[in-house]
Amino acid sequence: MNAITVDPDLRDNLEHPEPATTPPSGSGPRPRRFTWGKAVGWAVMIVMIVITLVPFYWMLRTALSSNSALPGGAADPLPVGFSWGGFERALGLATPQESLAAGGSGAAMNFGRYLANSVAVATMVTVGQVLFSALAAYAFSRMRWPGRDVVFAAFLGGLMVPTIFTLLPNFLLVRDLGLLDTLPGIALPTMLMTPFAVFFMRQFFMGISTEIEEAAMLDGASRIRTFFSIIVPMVSSAVATLGILTYITSWNDYLWPLLVSQTDGSRVLTLALGIFRAQSPQSAPDWPGLMAATLLAALPVLVLYACFAKRIVNSIGFSGIK
Amino acid sequence: MTGATTAPRADLARPARRSRYSRMEKRNLPTALLFIAPASIGYAVFLLWPTLRGIYLSFTDTTAFNAGELVGLENYERMLTDGVFLDSFRVTLYYVLLNIGLQTVLALVVAVLMHRLTQSLVIRGLLLTPYLVSNVVAAMLFLMLLDYQLGFVNAVIDTLGLDRLMFFGSQDLVIPTVAFVNVWRHLGYTALLIFAGLQTIPDNLYEAGRMDGASELTMFRRLTLPLLRPYLGLVLIVTMIGSFQVFDTVSVATQGGPANSSNVIQYYIYEVAFSRSYDFGYASAMSVALLVVLAAVSILQFRLTRANTNDMA
Amino acid sequence: MRKSLKIALAGSVVLVLAACGSGGSGTGGDSATGEVTYWLWDSNQVPAYQACATAFTEANPEITVKIEQFGWEDYWTKVTAGFVGGSGPDVFVDHLSKYGEFAQQGQIVDLDELIERDGVDTSVYAEGLIDPWVGPEGGTFGLPKDFDTTAFFYNTAMLDEAGLTAEDLWSADWNPTDGGTFEDVVARLTVDTNGVRGDEPGFDPSSIAVYGLGLNPNYEETGQMQWANFTGTLDWDYLDSNPWGTQYNFDDPEFQESIGWFYGLADKGYAPASGVFSEETLTQIGSGQVAMGTNGSWATNSFLALDGIDIGIAPGPVGVDGARGSIYNGVADSINAGSDKQDAAWEWVKFLGSTDCQDLVAEQAIVFPSIPSSSDKALEAFEAAGVDVSAFFSYLEDGNRTFLPPITLQAGEVNALAKTALENIALGNADPSSLTQANEQINALLAD
Repeated sequence: MNAITVDPDLRDNLEHPEPATTPPSGSGPRPRRFTWGKAVGWAVMIVMIVITLVPFYWMLRTALSSNSALPGGAADPLPVGFSWGGFERALGLATPQESLAAGGSGAAMNFGRYLANSVAVATMVTVGQVLFSALAAYAFSRMRWPGRDVVFAAFLGGLMVPTIFTLLPNFLLVRDLGLLDTLPGIALPTMLMTPFAVFFMRQFFMGISTEIEEAAMLDGASRIRTFFSIIVPMVSSAVATLGILTYITSWNDYLWPLLVSQTDGSRVLTLALGIFRAQSPQSAPDWPGLMAATLLAALPVLVLYACFAKRIVNSIGFSGIK
Repeated sequence: MTGATTAPRADLARPARRSRYSRMEKRNLPTALLFIAPASIGYAVFLLWPTLRGIYLSFTDTTAFNAGELVGLENYERMLTDGVFLDSFRVTLYYVLLNIGLQTVLALVVAVLMHRLTQSLVIRGLLLTPYLVSNVVAAMLFLMLLDYQLGFVNAVIDTLGLDRLMFFGSQDLVIPTVAFVNVWRHLGYTALLIFAGLQTIPDNLYEAGRMDGASELTMFRRLTLPLLRPYLGLVLIVTMIGSFQVFDTVSVATQGGPANSSNVIQYYIYEVAFSRSYDFGYASAMSVALLVVLAAVSILQFRLTRANTNDMA
Repeated sequence: MRKSLKIALAGSVVLVLAACGSGGSGTGGDSATGEVTYWLWDSNQVPAYQACATAFTEANPEITVKIEQFGWEDYWTKVTAGFVGGSGPDVFVDHLSKYGEFAQQGQIVDLDELIERDGVDTSVYAEGLIDPWVGPEGGTFGLPKDFDTTAFFYNTAMLDEAGLTAEDLWSADWNPTDGGTFEDVVARLTVDTNGVRGDEPGFDPSSIAVYGLGLNPNYEETGQMQWANFTGTLDWDYLDSNPWGTQYNFDDPEFQESIGWFYGLADKGYAPASGVFSEETLTQIGSGQVAMGTNGSWATNSFLALDGIDIGIAPGPVGVDGARGSIYNGVADSINAGSDKQDAAWEWVKFLGSTDCQDLVAEQAIVFPSIPSSSDKALEAFEAAGVDVSAFFSYLEDGNRTFLPPITLQAGEVNALAKTALENIALGNADPSSLTQANEQINALLAD
């Protein structure tokens, strides 16, 4: 196996990028004094954060309330009829009788199972989609070959296809493949690519100068190896961003898993939330259960985000390469 | 297009015989095909084939239960005289303009703030959290919060001595409310996308700008925006296409009401196909119309933002 | 990056293989044995039917029943997808407004032959319950399970404060012109923000603290959740013939007057305007801002569970000819024509339609089963729990009426048209005479 011999200076700059001037990479300049601009900026930021978080506080408050007390205390900022029931039902810890008595549905809630299913599906989709879309994006942006622009235009056209168009034919296809009511069946349609992912990665690949590849290829590296060892690390923040966004999108998908999944074996968390929605045409949803389940469902992804956050943030400065 | 190479390479020189593609380009073909193979399979099977099938269906009278026969342009004729359909386009357009306008501007502001003001991971995470809530739950949550009589927001408005607002229940406010809910949910996502683009701009450019005495605002206009153009173009196209297809919020919170004032196109299509008349043929025809509109809008945008090029390379 | 990528790839391959290993597997073969999947939407009833399933398997050891419950909002998506994809349930709870299309398209099984073959006695069901399940071209498509009617739930404390008694409600009369004594009661129950009642001088209709009558946000051609208790007292019916009529009667002047009266209550301040409440009378009454509201018998337990509010139930008012009226609705169990376990499914459906199962359901005091002896048991069960549900049964007494909700083909489309028309009236965009135009549209649709 030939080792890639990259010009040592080049490699050094890749691994330890140093901007031409002093400030450390990844951060902006640090003005020392207070400016009105900063104050306004912070004010805007804070307002955004408050508007973002108030509904979450409301979710928590409702999750800790009880169904029977909610109508009476609708606008009370604190939990009404404080109870852990919501969380108990969300985690499947309440018996059907307790559940029904508290205004929930008596349906079985296998939280652990649904969580594992969601993780499996989201992981399959994310890994597959990001990898294969990045590969395709690379070919579209950094290689010249006959028919490239036509094929890319076709891929791009895929962005405009309304989801409702593909829903039913995909359902029939998955059924014919015998993958109904299975996790791969849920993951399949988006596991190989989405036009967005290809488009997204291509934008980032286009921003890299070609010299690096040229250098690597002059040294005898194959395209594939160049791709994995050099190009991808250069856009790692884009990959991480796409990864987390794809993961969350897949995590929250509702309609497609609803169609494909029939039984507990393939039920994902979002569907489990259906248990807390209105069961009969004229009854109220199980608000505490629903809010508790939503909060719990968001936790794993938050953890994931925390792990990858640094990746999303860090940029590799290009400044040193020229 | 990618930037020009600096050193001319022998195999790029035009070969003696006339060929549309250079030898290098042709040599690249096998590798390129390898690279795009998995994505192409996914595209062909899960996107292209259903679309073609859907287009075919639009010329038939297929229902949910029965394969239909070709009926020519019947569905399309019906579509053009269907008041509800035309209205739904108007409603959707209104929604898209509100949603995109608000979302893009806010996301840009937030992304720039995240880039220049603070590097805090926590804040980034906080802003992303609404995206962690599924569309369905977000809609239900706001249904509760914005309730005219029983909602917290109106209780606060009441205490401030102002008139309560009928958010989802009013024909005038329903679309802005739906737009707000979706902006709330997608802001972090969009901001993150733009932020990723912002990170490709080298810091030393800002340093140089500062040293030249430029204010943040000037640097934003002269430096950030132009360099951000391809990413902004991407974000704009994607969010616009997504906006046209708004569904979940309407389905959960308003069911197209009150009196069809929030009957967006995707919801109408879904209703026709799955609940009102199980008429897949007609639903497909409307979907094709939507597709054409989306294509037109995207092409227009693509040209306008020249998202195809990149000033950095 | 490369290494972690490899690990991730390997991991997902493992996951895929593992997931392939699990997942549903069908038991094919003999159609009289095996596992029958049964779908229903009301989670409250799952324990009752679970008990039935257990009893059933004891009596028929070769057949097991798997109960799956999906909430109402997803239920029909799943059922339709099931028909389309051939992956649906063997038996499922069916609804009058939906089954017409299914029957016409051959998606559900015509039970007539089976009923005859096995000598099932369909006269055991309460009168009129099985008739609506006869399809547009004949054939029976479900065995009735339960029935429900609508009545008025009210806050007993508020009634007392208003100086009224339950008797006032039970004896109230109504007419489309001035609302009769019923409107007087509603006015009395309404309190504005200054504490002035609706029938006192100085009442301010624009600023209400407690509404006398709630408004459900359900606009439909049945009017079940809104005005059916009123129009049901008129000498009027939805259709030229029910079920399977093709001409609606929304252009009837008395009907339009009633509609005008009903939505006009909001202008008088007695009822909330459209959009004021986004949830149903259950939440409205529970919030303490509404004194009384229409709802169905299925909601009884939810009402009783409301914190700090004592609930009473009164039937709809008496009409001009001295009769009360309510929609008499029922659900039934249908068999999926695409099921490969038709015989086993039929056994289960028979069991569901028998006292063996219905008695078990009755004991749970949730719904009223379709066999009178069982529904009597339900009545007793409710009483034992301290609840007087006689209001729901009052319509069955002599001199009162029950009537079917309108059953036609293209129910979904009809519903959409009616909904828009009614909403526009409630919003003040149109007046009740616009129903004539809507009526024409609907009739044109049904004439196809």
